[in-house]
Amino acid sequence: MIEIQINGKTCTCEPGEFLLKVAARNGIYIPTLCHHEGVGEQGCCRLCLAEVVERGRSRIVVSCVFPVEKPIEVYTDSERVRENRAVVLMLLKERAPESEEIARLCEEYQAIDGSRFKALDNEKCIMCGLCARACQSLGTGAIATVGRGTGKKVSTPYDEPSKDCVGCLSCARICPTGAIPYKQDEKERRIWDRSFTLVRCESCGEIIGTREELLLAAERGGREPDTLCASCRQKQMADVLAHTYGLE
Amino acid sequence: MRKTVLICCGTGCRANGSMAVADAIRKAIREAGAAADAVAQVKTTGCNGFCENGPIVKVMPDNITYYKVKPRDAGEIIEKTVMAGETVSRLLYKNEAGERVRSQEENPFYAQQKKIALSAIGQIDPENIEDYIEIGGYEALKKALAMTPDEIISEVEKSNLRGRGGAGFPTGRKWRTAAGYDNYPKYVVCNGDEGDPGAFMDRSVLEGDPHAVIEGLAIAALAIGAEEGFFYIRDEYDLAVKHIKKAIEDAKARGILGDSVMGSGHKLNLSVVRGGGAFICGESTALMASIEGRVGEPRAKYIRSVQRGLWNQPTVLNNVETLANIPYIINNGGEAFAKIGTKGSSGTKVFALVGKVKRTGLVEVPMGTTLRHLIYDIGGGIIGDRPFKAVQTGGPSGGCIPESMLDLEVDFDTLSSYGAMMGSGGMIVMDDRSCMVEVARYYTQFLCEESCGKCTPCREGLRRMLEILTDICEGRGREGDLELLERIGHTLQDSSLCSLGKSAPNPVLTTIKYFRSEYEAHIREKRCPAGVCRSLTSFGIDKEKCIGCDLCAKGCPAGAISGQKKEPHEIDPGICIACGSCREACRFDAVITLGKGAARE
Repeated sequence: MIEIQINGKTCTCEPGEFLLKVAARNGIYIPTLCHHEGVGEQGCCRLCLAEVVERGRSRIVVSCVFPVEKPIEVYTDSERVRENRAVVLMLLKERAPESEEIARLCEEYQAIDGSRFKALDNEKCIMCGLCARACQSLGTGAIATVGRGTGKKVSTPYDEPSKDCVGCLSCARICPTGAIPYKQDEKERRIWDRSFTLVRCESCGEIIGTREELLLAAERGGREPDTLCASCRQKQMADVLAHTYGLE
Repeated sequence: MRKTVLICCGTGCRANGSMAVADAIRKAIREAGAAADAVAQVKTTGCNGFCENGPIVKVMPDNITYYKVKPRDAGEIIEKTVMAGETVSRLLYKNEAGERVRSQEENPFYAQQKKIALSAIGQIDPENIEDYIEIGGYEALKKALAMTPDEIISEVEKSNLRGRGGAGFPTGRKWRTAAGYDNYPKYVVCNGDEGDPGAFMDRSVLEGDPHAVIEGLAIAALAIGAEEGFFYIRDEYDLAVKHIKKAIEDAKARGILGDSVMGSGHKLNLSVVRGGGAFICGESTALMASIEGRVGEPRAKYIRSVQRGLWNQPTVLNNVETLANIPYIINNGGEAFAKIGTKGSSGTKVFALVGKVKRTGLVEVPMGTTLRHLIYDIGGGIIGDRPFKAVQTGGPSGGCIPESMLDLEVDFDTLSSYGAMMGSGGMIVMDDRSCMVEVARYYTQFLCEESCGKCTPCREGLRRMLEILTDICEGRGREGDLELLERIGHTLQDSSLCSLGKSAPNPVLTTIKYFRSEYEAHIREKRCPAGVCRSLTSFGIDKEKCIGCDLCAKGCPAGAISGQKKEPHEIDPGICIACGSCREACRFDAVITLGKGAARE
């Protein structure tokens, strides 16, 4: 067990625990966009900066991937952190001018003025890569970050409709800025330039997913594809149990 | 005594036609008959470093070096030098005093160098393992096999050798840390992904002395207990890849590598991985991702790769030049190496001295040599004796150093304390006709394309810095731009993910620091003092100086210059595209640089 100071508050943690997690457990909020418990760490949005002082030397670290190994002093709202974060947020705003989340953060953390620059057109994506990681771990790896440098983007191979995509919306749902567009009507869902037939719950008629998505889940789980939505399935299970124990 | 004709066949000399020279010399020996054949053997060697004067041909043991040799000179070299021991005067190097010098040691370019990493290059055929063994090759490995890992590491620690790739991390400490983990397998990797524009130190070593690098890597493997190693070489280095691959095969065939290194029972397999063509893959964690077959992107290095590197195992990554120094250290002892150079930075450093200097090429000098010595004594000063303006060191991660700092000693720490860095050894010299804003813009653009794009400060910060710099170069600079550049630059230094992003603003920040007035001339006066930024430049002709030689008009691609022979010429500002070729062509300094819209009547 290690004792560290965050903004003057004494916090304890296991060696190797990430700073962001330690702070969160102790009720200290650090803003972040690219961090998600479910898909591993990447440390790329650079919003969760913190200043670490160790043996009199101070440096800026990224708290989501910074493992705490020694007793340190941490400041999550020092002048140096504020300055860096204010510039990073301005850069994100000029990158994704359409994102309401970014605009909100810019206001909250007083981003510097970026009116000098030509903001990107119609852009919400901040290139955090969460979507690609979610697709890799939950879906099929149908999308990835493509290219490098300022031209980097998220796309399917060769920008063509991917045969691997199952239309599960993992990418769109995890996106912190709502940058992945999709359309859905009664019967169909369109995403990444492909359309998928929607399957409805046999009992209540709720949409339970695309046919491809349900087939993939069934294949991975080694069972028949779902025909009921989650709540109807629970209800069915409850009925079976009630019948078994004579509680009808 | 049998004579050896050594023909430089490094990439530079090959481009100048050295393979044809080698063929011509072999043919000349055959034609000269049995007598010549008995006295002469031909060897193709690695790069001698003086590529602009290639192809270079040396005759040993006479120690005569010829420059800019053409195939048609072959007969004369064989007949006069090889057979009769005479020199062919016109092929010798002419020094500043106009004297022809016979040996390489008398050539001012070589005279002041001290070679360790480059010592064997140019003497041996890199494709022949016997040549390397003949000059004492693999003796260090043999010696290391009789030492304990701790003894090997202590020797490297005593040498104070620091990583030549740019960061300058103490090599011994890196090995010591990796040796301390008992988590097997461990790996050793040679970083040959040299990517700085204008730099070719590592390429030359890999091409010219591949066995020395293999020997260094094998000693590293012994020291930390690794049985597998990789050479990560950038894909464009075709000849380097070929030579390293052949050297590994030959070493394996002789039992130097493989299941029992020199019969010791230690196992070591080395292989070559060709780079993916991205600058970022020179960064350690991106390089390792690339070897593993993943996208070459760095990760946060709070846990270092000596602990968790390739496939999460302890890994030592050393630069080519670092490894090339290892055999010397083991053979001569760490203390002998530590005596060379300065206290904090021992040994020598190889620099690629390029740009507007009279003698360009690869030079190896003791650490602590001043910039002035490198540029003026070895490099011979600025072309055309024009004023020196700046030297760019360390490539895109480095900075621009002004004349007032020419007496600084070049080592790991001195330049860094001034915002520049020695880096891996790129050194680009610039004269008064180089625009520092344009230089900063060039490097920023390079980095915009070569950033991996993973973290926000690097990807978006560089995009915005480039936007401002382009505006300044094209006459749209505004008040406040410099402060904004500095602010974004400091954020990159503080909060980027890897060292590419952290060092990316150096070219911009150092040029603002040392050449601020040049930025201000662009922004406030809409004028490029160096006459480089086309949107802010026009040219005129000084009628007093112009003698009407017509050279400028002949070189003008736009046909904007007119005038009678022997009469002062004129530039039509409506046609002129401000390319500056007239200024380059004029031998009388009659072409003058003006601001845009200020063209003379």
